[in-house]
Amino acid sequence: MDPFLYLDRDTFVHRLDPRTKMFLLVGAFVLTFLFVNPLYQLGVLALVLLFGALARSLVNLKRIWFILVMVGLMTVILWSIFASGETSLFWFVEREAVLYGIGIALRIDITIIAGMIFLSTTRNEEIATGLVKLGLPYRFAFAISTALRLVPTIAATGSTIGQAQRSRGLDLESGNIIQRIRKNTPLLIPVFVSTIRSTNVFSMALESKGFGASPDRTYFLRLAMGRRDVLVLLVFALLLGAAAALRLMGYGGLEGFSR
Amino acid sequence: MENAVSIEGLSYRYRGQERPALDGVDLEVAEGEFVVVMGPSGAGKSTLCVSLNGLIPHFFRGRMEGEVRIRGRSTREGKVGEFAREVGLVFQDFEAQLFSTNVALEVAFGPENFRVEREEMARRVESVLGRVRLEGFEGRQPATLSGGQKQRLAIASVLAIEPRILCLDEPTTDLDPIGKLGVFEIAEELKDRDDVTLIVVEHETEETLDADRIVVLRDGKIAADGPAREILRDVKLLEGSRVQPLQVARFFHEMGFWQAQLPLTPAEGTKEFRRRDWRVNPERHRELVAEDAKRGEAYGEPLIEVERLAHRYPNGVVALEDVDLVVRQGEFLAVLGQNGSGKTTLVKHFNGLLEPTEGSVRVGGEETTAQGVRRLGQRVGYVFQNPDHQIFSDTVSEEVGFGPKIRGMEEGEVEERVFEALAAVGLEGYEGEDPFGLTKGERQRVAVASVLAVRPEVLILDEPTTGLDYAEQRSMMDLVKRLNDAGSTIIVVTHTMWVVAEYAHRAAVVRDGRVVLSGPVREIFTEENQLRDASLRPPHIVSLGNSLGFPVLSVEEMLRVTEVDGREME
Amino acid sequence: MKEIFTMWRHTQMVVLVALSAAIYAAVLIPFKGFTIIPGFTEVRPANVFPFVFGLLFGPAGAWGAAVGNLIGDFFGTLGIGSIAGFVGNFFLGFIPYKMWGAFFRRGENMETNVNSGKKIAVYVALVILASAVCAVWIAWFNDLIGFVPFAALASIITVNNAIAGLVLGPIFLLVLYPRVKRWGLLWTEIMPPDEVPASRLQFLGNLLMWVGGIGALVVGLILGLGLYDQGIAAAGFAPSAGGASGAVIGLALLPFLALIIFASFLLGGREQVEAAEEEAGPSGAR
Repeated sequence: MDPFLYLDRDTFVHRLDPRTKMFLLVGAFVLTFLFVNPLYQLGVLALVLLFGALARSLVNLKRIWFILVMVGLMTVILWSIFASGETSLFWFVEREAVLYGIGIALRIDITIIAGMIFLSTTRNEEIATGLVKLGLPYRFAFAISTALRLVPTIAATGSTIGQAQRSRGLDLESGNIIQRIRKNTPLLIPVFVSTIRSTNVFSMALESKGFGASPDRTYFLRLAMGRRDVLVLLVFALLLGAAAALRLMGYGGLEGFSR
Repeated sequence: MENAVSIEGLSYRYRGQERPALDGVDLEVAEGEFVVVMGPSGAGKSTLCVSLNGLIPHFFRGRMEGEVRIRGRSTREGKVGEFAREVGLVFQDFEAQLFSTNVALEVAFGPENFRVEREEMARRVESVLGRVRLEGFEGRQPATLSGGQKQRLAIASVLAIEPRILCLDEPTTDLDPIGKLGVFEIAEELKDRDDVTLIVVEHETEETLDADRIVVLRDGKIAADGPAREILRDVKLLEGSRVQPLQVARFFHEMGFWQAQLPLTPAEGTKEFRRRDWRVNPERHRELVAEDAKRGEAYGEPLIEVERLAHRYPNGVVALEDVDLVVRQGEFLAVLGQNGSGKTTLVKHFNGLLEPTEGSVRVGGEETTAQGVRRLGQRVGYVFQNPDHQIFSDTVSEEVGFGPKIRGMEEGEVEERVFEALAAVGLEGYEGEDPFGLTKGERQRVAVASVLAVRPEVLILDEPTTGLDYAEQRSMMDLVKRLNDAGSTIIVVTHTMWVVAEYAHRAAVVRDGRVVLSGPVREIFTEENQLRDASLRPPHIVSLGNSLGFPVLSVEEMLRVTEVDGREME
Repeated sequence: MKEIFTMWRHTQMVVLVALSAAIYAAVLIPFKGFTIIPGFTEVRPANVFPFVFGLLFGPAGAWGAAVGNLIGDFFGTLGIGSIAGFVGNFFLGFIPYKMWGAFFRRGENMETNVNSGKKIAVYVALVILASAVCAVWIAWFNDLIGFVPFAALASIITVNNAIAGLVLGPIFLLVLYPRVKRWGLLWTEIMPPDEVPASRLQFLGNLLMWVGGIGALVVGLILGLGLYDQGIAAAGFAPSAGGASGAVIGLALLPFLALIIFASFLLGGREQVEAAEEEAGPSGAR
């Protein structure tokens, strides 16, 4: 299975400059951090989902819904226990704490969904090039994009290794937790060895193609912030400003909550 | 004029190694030449390649003596980056040399590093992709290409740097016959350009016919260096260097021909055969066919029965469709087909790693789905293509004993199994060795032994000869043959055609998920057209026999059936 | 600390970052299902890798662990918490190699192959410390931004990392060290000594790292669990104390985190590179 979230579609979101999308991602994080009140968070969630729908990327929710639900539940439970408020619901759990938990759960899920939309609409090489254009050193960006690219290959190798060891009789399902962790040895060691073994060839091939031949390099992939990018960022900045103003006026908080 | 490459007294010893990888090599390559370097594993071929652009001495720590000059300039004098512009290096392992997420970016990678302007890069990407016939693939992810396409892309990505010297290190090792052809067609075209010097490392002789010159390396030294057709005719030299001689040349050599007259290709051979008025003795040939038939009668019960098998991957891709196949006890079956044809998918059903989407697979009369991988593993052993995908232990004996031990056998029993399995693969006395320190051929044997240790009835080997040199391939297949003679049922997945011809009894050709041909190897190999459709090509000696109307499978068989002036040879 | 920057000059180290990260991410993904606190931390045998990467590949292993964890997040849970995951996992690979040399005398065999009693003891100690430091960074950050309470996350991450490291690590290093050495891929062989800082006040650095890591964990847990008690108390005695307590852990742990960073500067690492250099002999020069 392709582990990547990227969806090859032609929407206006896909066509945005990767840097624009990075700003939007950070902006979404800021937006969701402005509010605590679950009602306001629902508003932010709706906005993020609307954006996802425009990017025709919400099908990926199918792949992460379980994580989203579990994160949500655990967060609500945790904060219900760990935080306190004024109105008692039952035993030692207060209404405000539960509301806070729901607000935080939404906040976490929103950041994950925003991340998902970003990855669904931005290619690996766009991320890498975008990061370089934003000032990340090229070699670091290269390592990230290479790692990203290799994950499916190594995952496939891992599954082949799993098949090889299972057909030799390895049974991962039995034993206590320590034994089960230990049983991963015949899987993880070959994954490591067969991957790391290629380091030297990989490095030689890189140097043979001039990697590091000169201190800087040119780029084939051209990124350009167009009018569309500016417009989107402008609209979003206005939105963010409005939200901040709303929060400063005292809306979107949670009365009577304490940790 | 300055020679493109000038090597003088080059010796190199890797750090921690006792033996030098190269030992006093002298070699001159003129501008525009096409030189093929041959030799067995460990002869120093790859070391020679990486010494051309300065990776030796700059990348590796080790001891270098002598000089390598590229168009007059010593590699000691500059960085790898400087020589990389002059010498393009394509490595054997194409997976490890593709760095980008799409084809166009891959080709642009080198020029980017050399700070080529964007417009110029666009021009190069277009022209180079055209040259390796990957136009229209610009946006594809390299990972989704076939092996042959990947290797062509690797070549393109180096060509984009516009080097004057191009060195390809075993560019076709992992490719099916048609993939190989694609790579050699590119080499062919480059050869016609005077401004490109081509150095290709290759161990398959059939692919080297077009070279200007062949250099044979052995134990780090140059064993021979001469015009290609001359070297190819020197059957003794090649055999002595553990390189497979051309089959047609070997046949005529055995028939007592002078070296200088040896025909090399099936076409040349057929012409010569007819010109001399030799003929094939039909009686003798009938004997061969009768021997096949007799062997067939000795097979036991059906062990694996495949009925109307279809397999679809979760993403909906149809990998197998409507496959029927029976494997009887004692058979030696070869499953053929190009990369990605579905042959591996098919055999993975035999030990339960994959389950049928439709139809049924029975082993020993019982559905595989009812038996499970663990239980089936005891009956059907599966040796994976890459031994590194299963080796994890510190010592050979631990590795081989893993299967028996995990199946709960007593220590004494495990020891006995290990001893027996190592003896079977010819690795007695290797118990305490570190499996990772062995050669690829030996690691492959450890993998076979570790499967044999649970004493399976059927042994499946996936591409057991890939990455091995000729001598290693032979000894691997001789080992498999011994196991077969001792009663094991063998299934080999491969695209090495001479292995099929000389060792397998029966072949099944898979194409686009269907078994399109199935039968005795001798019959299958007469269907050259159908084989070509499946991207396969029979070995030279088979083609020679076919064109004479009598299918033979090996040089030995050809010698057996040939008559000179009414007399039989021998 | 400069080796974590100078290492980028070496192509092999860049490749090792990429390959380590890819391995780590690739083996993390299948375990995304087995979740303790879903989305934040999982039971993962893959967690042995940061320690192994660190001890074998040095700074490349630390970066690899950090990037690998980030990429693991790319396949589902990329969010603001990924920042802390990056830093935490970096330290998971960083601490073992950085502190290893501090436990050995000059001239003593300090290869990281974990083949003696002393080496195993050092390994165990470092795995526990690194797990704690990793946990502290992640839990501190998640508490600070109000995602997850410190106490809930810190203990789980510490235990989780340490289990995989302790159960699998010694076997892995024993098997992998000789191979990696044979391929010439140990960081001590790739990097020249002058690119790695010499230790200043190594003993102090060692001590401060322990104080910083374990201290932060203990203080954080005490504060966190104290608030937890208040939470129970508050069920009976409403309204409870101070609304600003959310920032308490965030502030209280700052000195400890500063100590961890300060200690990183005191610990050098050059002694290991020099030891490798001596062992290789004069022919080891490039």
